Amino acid sequence: MLARNRILVALKRTNQYPILGSRLLSSSAYLYNTSVDKKGQQPAQPVGSDVEPPKRKPLSRIAIGGSTNQSQRDSGGSIEFATWKAAALLVTLGGTLYYFFAKEKRRLEIEKEAEANRGYGKPLVGGPFKLVDFNGNEFTQENLKGKFSIIYFGFSHCPDICPDELDKLSVWLDELKKRGIELQPIFITCDPARDPPNVLKEYLSEFHPDLIGLTGDYNAVKHACKQYRVYFSTPPSLKPGQDYLVDHSIFFYLMDPEGQFIDALGRQYDEKTGAEKIQEHVKAFVPKEEREKRKDKWYSFLFN
Amino acid sequence: MGWFSKTKPMDDQSKAPTRSSRKQCWEARDGYFSCLDNISVVNALDPKHHEAIKKSCQGEENKFEQDCATSWIKYFKEKRVVDYKREKFMREMESKNAQQIDLSGMVKR
Repeated sequence: MLARNRILVALKRTNQYPILGSRLLSSSAYLYNTSVDKKGQQPAQPVGSDVEPPKRKPLSRIAIGGSTNQSQRDSGGSIEFATWKAAALLVTLGGTLYYFFAKEKRRLEIEKEAEANRGYGKPLVGGPFKLVDFNGNEFTQENLKGKFSIIYFGFSHCPDICPDELDKLSVWLDELKKRGIELQPIFITCDPARDPPNVLKEYLSEFHPDLIGLTGDYNAVKHACKQYRVYFSTPPSLKPGQDYLVDHSIFFYLMDPEGQFIDALGRQYDEKTGAEKIQEHVKAFVPKEEREKRKDKWYSFLFN
Repeated sequence: MGWFSKTKPMDDQSKAPTRSSRKQCWEARDGYFSCLDNISVVNALDPKHHEAIKKSCQGEENKFEQDCATSWIKYFKEKRVVDYKREKFMREMESKNAQQIDLSGMVKR
């Protein structure tokens, strides 16, 4: 109530200003217009009354200042409140945007990595093969379609690396399953002579239940390995029943649901980082059709 | 019982080693290797160490040879030398303040 009264007072006083101004103007007109005799006496009164307002000016100034101070204080509170809100909004919005852009940037990077690995024209890794699974059924590249697959090459008589890697794979598979990602794990033997389906089945039963073991005759296995750029060597002159080791490359090959190669995961990935890497790839996967459609879009430069 | 008779279950080529047989072999290997550590032998395949091994680690060696497939024995002995050299190299590099570069991440982060 008090504040409003003061404002009203201030308004009244400011309203006086135009009047004062006009009076001053009229007085100045009189001062210059000395030849006017008729009003010679009458203007004396305005002059007299005009002298007073300048004296009262400090008063009015205080009033104006007072009123503006008052209004500033009032609006000051609301400005502070708005700034606080705006700052909070900016921080949340900025943070969210940053998070999404960083996430999207990472996703695009992973996608590009997969694209680079996929290669142009003929795929660098992967291709047609024809093997037998450990139940005796035929298994070809067609069986890779419809789900993400992870392929590992090894042999059952492997001393330490293969079992370690298969245990690691089991951890990945369970972890990814928890995150809602189902992979088709495939083990391809590099040692078909000692790994017929029944041996493979027994061997893999000690690892993850989802594992599918593939074998075949020597040439079929050799061909499949070649498709995946897997190097392996069995000792040249073997006596039947002789114990030997097979040298082979140790990579996990991640394949997309179209049967195309995404990435090779080496031994540097541990139980945690491997699962994360696979998850990133699975999340970043874009089907071929969509990839090609996207190339024609105006924003295609983003994906190059 | 001739020279080529199979006396070890681990040398049976018709079936794959099981988890438990692998574990048994690895434990025998670790026991043997820790014995070799005690007599400061790195390369068990080197003939000049044969005498020392026979003297100090005969029991461990027998167990190792019994529990592991023949091909694995050779492999583990070779691997021990490689691992030792690698570790020595890494320690040496570390003492020279060399920094290990992680080449695994192909993607820039």
